[in-house]
Amino acid sequence: MNALLSSIRYFAKKNGSFLIFLILAIIASIAVPNFFALDNFAIIIKQSAIPLIACIGMTLVLMTGGIDLSMGYIVGFASITSGLLAKIYQWPIPAVVLATFIVGIAFGSLNGFIIQFMKVPAFITTLGSGYIIYGLAQIVSQGSIVSRLPEGFLAIGRTEMLGLPSSVFIAAVVLLIFYIIINKGIFGRSLRAFGYNAKAAEVSGVPISKINVSVYIASGLLAALAGMLFTIRVNAAQPNMGGGNFNFEVITAAIVGGTSLFGGVGSITGTLFGVLSIKIIENCINLMGISYHLYMAVQGVIILIAIIFENVKNKAL
Amino acid sequence: MKSRVYLKKILGLIFLVAAFLIVASFVPNFLTISNLLNVVRQSSIIGICAVGMTLVIIIKGIDLSISGLLAFSPMVSGILMLHGHNIFFSLAAGILVGLSMGFFNGLMVSTLSVPAFITTLVVGQVSEGLSLIMNGGRSIGGFPDSYVFLGNGTLFGIPISDYLMLIFFLIGFIILKFTSLGNHILALGGNETVLRQEGISVTKIQFFVYVFASFCTSVAGLLLSAQLDTVHPIQGEAYQLDSIAACVIGGVDMAGGYGSVSMAMVGALIIGSLRNSLNLLGVHPFMQNIFVGIIIISIVFITGRIRQRNRKATRGVL
Amino acid sequence: MNAPLLQMKNITKFIYGTDGKPIKNSDVKILRSVNFELLAGEVHVLVGENGAGKSTLMKILGGLIPPDEGQIFLKGRAVEFHNARTARTNGIAFIHQELNLCSNLDIAHNIFLGREPTKHGFRDKETMYIKSKELLQSLSTDINPSTLVGRLSTAQQQIVEIAKALSYDSKIVIMDEPTASLTAREIAILFDLIRKMSSKGIGIIYISHRFEEFREIGDRLSVLRDGQYIGTLSMDEFKPDKVIQMMVGRTINEFFPSSHIPTDEVILRVIGLKLTSKTKPINIMVRKGEILGIGGLVGSGRTELAKSIFGIRDFEDGNVEYQGKNITRKKPYQLIDEGIAYLTEDRKQEGLISEMTIRENLTLSSLKKVSRVGLISPSREHETANRLTKELSIVARSIEQLVGTLSGGNQQRCVFGKWLNTDPKLLILDEPTRGIDINAKAEIHKIIDDIAASGVAVIMISSELPELIGMSDRIYIMRTGSVIAEVQKGPEMTQERIIEYICAGCP
Repeated sequence: MNALLSSIRYFAKKNGSFLIFLILAIIASIAVPNFFALDNFAIIIKQSAIPLIACIGMTLVLMTGGIDLSMGYIVGFASITSGLLAKIYQWPIPAVVLATFIVGIAFGSLNGFIIQFMKVPAFITTLGSGYIIYGLAQIVSQGSIVSRLPEGFLAIGRTEMLGLPSSVFIAAVVLLIFYIIINKGIFGRSLRAFGYNAKAAEVSGVPISKINVSVYIASGLLAALAGMLFTIRVNAAQPNMGGGNFNFEVITAAIVGGTSLFGGVGSITGTLFGVLSIKIIENCINLMGISYHLYMAVQGVIILIAIIFENVKNKAL
Repeated sequence: MKSRVYLKKILGLIFLVAAFLIVASFVPNFLTISNLLNVVRQSSIIGICAVGMTLVIIIKGIDLSISGLLAFSPMVSGILMLHGHNIFFSLAAGILVGLSMGFFNGLMVSTLSVPAFITTLVVGQVSEGLSLIMNGGRSIGGFPDSYVFLGNGTLFGIPISDYLMLIFFLIGFIILKFTSLGNHILALGGNETVLRQEGISVTKIQFFVYVFASFCTSVAGLLLSAQLDTVHPIQGEAYQLDSIAACVIGGVDMAGGYGSVSMAMVGALIIGSLRNSLNLLGVHPFMQNIFVGIIIISIVFITGRIRQRNRKATRGVL
Repeated sequence: MNAPLLQMKNITKFIYGTDGKPIKNSDVKILRSVNFELLAGEVHVLVGENGAGKSTLMKILGGLIPPDEGQIFLKGRAVEFHNARTARTNGIAFIHQELNLCSNLDIAHNIFLGREPTKHGFRDKETMYIKSKELLQSLSTDINPSTLVGRLSTAQQQIVEIAKALSYDSKIVIMDEPTASLTAREIAILFDLIRKMSSKGIGIIYISHRFEEFREIGDRLSVLRDGQYIGTLSMDEFKPDKVIQMMVGRTINEFFPSSHIPTDEVILRVIGLKLTSKTKPINIMVRKGEILGIGGLVGSGRTELAKSIFGIRDFEDGNVEYQGKNITRKKPYQLIDEGIAYLTEDRKQEGLISEMTIRENLTLSSLKKVSRVGLISPSREHETANRLTKELSIVARSIEQLVGTLSGGNQQRCVFGKWLNTDPKLLILDEPTRGIDINAKAEIHKIIDDIAASGVAVIMISSELPELIGMSDRIYIMRTGSVIAEVQKGPEMTQERIIEYICAGCP
């Protein structure tokens, strides 16, 4: 009996977020009308894809023990940039994509540089840079929205394959790439070591400056990609895309997915189920006709439960 | 040795004021009495929040729940007032809401060791969500005159807001400089081990500081809505950054242990004036945020370097 | 009441296993039936090497840790301390080497932290400043009590700590290496204070290694060695040789392996390295196949030197040359590629990642060797981890066990394994056998000897004299941040000589 309990506990520890996802799915199937339907599942997957991309970036940052509060605003900047370049300046599509990526990388590098070399704490840096980026996005957009974007641009995310838009497959590719990097790559091992114990990792030869800057570049890049895909999805580029609420949602999903705020603990698959779990809840709230604003408050409760749960789990370790 | 430190502070202040006056003279209409009083009135919101924020930063924490509470407290009070309840009761309810949020912050930070930034971020998000729910995302307005007077009325020619700011300044000042608790708060930011060794309860201090900070925030929120005669569910977002900026500009050290309420007040006035003068110059608030963001990062960086250099200088032989 | 001010009788402290339980039947104990006595108004010097048990004994007296056996008597009355506060209320003040003050508060607020006098509910600053001024003046200082402690020199901060101790009406003051960071003039001032205190009947326990100070300030001297109380001398009987003999007079039972033969080829040169702006430049060199010992007290700069070489500590000036190349201030990951390895002093915090498995720790410094195109090959990694586990006799359930749950000896083997897999040409060891039982120690010594025999240059920092002398071909001795002597293998390399250097500077 004890052996059974301890193996259950071990499984729960390793696959916590998957269990949460499963339990939520089951409860929702029973309790919420119209949940258990193929096209509803498709909706959930479509809703999860783009936030998942950003959440992977946030997971990397959280694994170092840091935080990126500017991601939501990079999303907005990337949105308006890609929209303007695609429609107003009519750049060739590959150039638009590249430029958007560069935007994300640039902001991410700036964050990483300030955090690692100027030694300004991550939350201050990204809080400040978030506002700066938001302001810049407003200036670039001059307060207007760019809509009715070129077909070629929209095709990046809207091409239907197997009944799902291409953005879902892009997210799957990102998921796969980072799964390999984190779980099987040298970078992932070094990242985890750094997150657990930066000092010991440094002595052991982990290049901590490179890693610390890289994770912010990754989060910036992925935020930019997410911003571009959001823009494609709604066929409108606006500086307000994403924002603080999106940021918070991404953090919540990462933490529900089992990522620890203190560093070291985190997994890509966990994040996947974290995002799916959050989206199931959002889906249920929509189906039940509850106000979206309640969802915001509920998110806060979710993240707190997740943190407390994490704390209790660690103490019991 | 003491006088040298004092001199540095005074010089810094003089320099700041001088630079400030020079810049201000380029801005039309800045140096008028009515505008200056307006500046103080606008700074009062930031200033009151900054008093609480100062204490939080001193104990090495942060309060990111300001954005939410600045709307949630007045939303609660406002709805009660609009339903005909007594104004004092309504205000008390709003403040109570703030106190509970602060209590919750303190609980998470002290008992569950949840980092302050995430706790307060969550509380801020939840409060903002609740203020959006309470009236379906719409603002409310049209409050009783007595309430609006608090925000816009004057007493002997000076806005009541200014008096409130002064009162909170005094409260914070007295706590830090004149009570044993104040000494303990500073000690917690300076060297937690020593504090524990003396048998002082760190938990109690953390609770107090976070509850006090939220108290300041809810009062500031009530004042803000009195000034505007409106409660807009997301009215707090602009002030989050500014309260931190006020403390940082005022010289409160993010690493903890150093700071005074007077510095934060000066910082609040500077931010308020900065916003005011930029407004007068026609600079859009979003652009202003860029400046504020850059300023915060720069100042934190510089104070960090100075602290590092000081530590090297006073280090022992090895 | 002729009972002495303080009596510590039969104080024993066992070493503790990883499960938190004391190991009672081990030969090695931290303290073994130690007796110590202090008379009122006496300055009693407490002497012993690193690890002799002095600080543990004082921590017990100061209430920071409980004794496993034995009793403490104050003026004949048995007492028990559950925490530092109780000890202090009983009149015991502990002035640590790392000063316990809040640098962001002023002197008066530090002294009265936690018991601030109040008037009408508010801080009575006037009383605080007046009382602090009185205390400082009774210590012949005229520092202004409103000065921020962070702006005081170390010597001045020490005076504040003493003032704080006096304000508690302490009867016993423990001072741990008080003169470590003081100038000659400051030391004179401190001694004046000590005399003042003892004239008031306060008993002072003075922990130090500086022989030159003992005669001047002490009344009696007690020696601890390997956790045991050796004896007490009065200052009239003090002779350096006699004390040294008491400190190190142990029969060396261990047989140290020495199959390695040092070559003449210099692999590392440290040129003019100043650890801080206040220390003298260090010049040392290491040869291939040689074991170079570095001796000295804790705080003499040995670890700082190692960290400066390995690029994890900033230093003032100087260069490091490795195989003719300048490697000054290069980062660890670059140095590892060059073939340099560093086993830290603190294996739990800096040597291993407790939350990761044995396998992950073993390969952490040599990930490229078990990977292809940036991806770790599980089969290669498993093979490497198993091989190292076998080679170093790491005892564990499996290589997937978390390193934090291993015993000290096995953890150290993991650290060795990690570094050996990087194929180092220069291996820096900082206290390689600290906290490890005798059998494991011997095995690790063999490993070190084998490494040197294969041509690797080894720098070994150690506080255990038998180990240092038994293993080293040469020994540098450090004191206050610089190298003060070099001792070659031969008649000069004895425990007594080395302690003499450490304690008295150059003879």
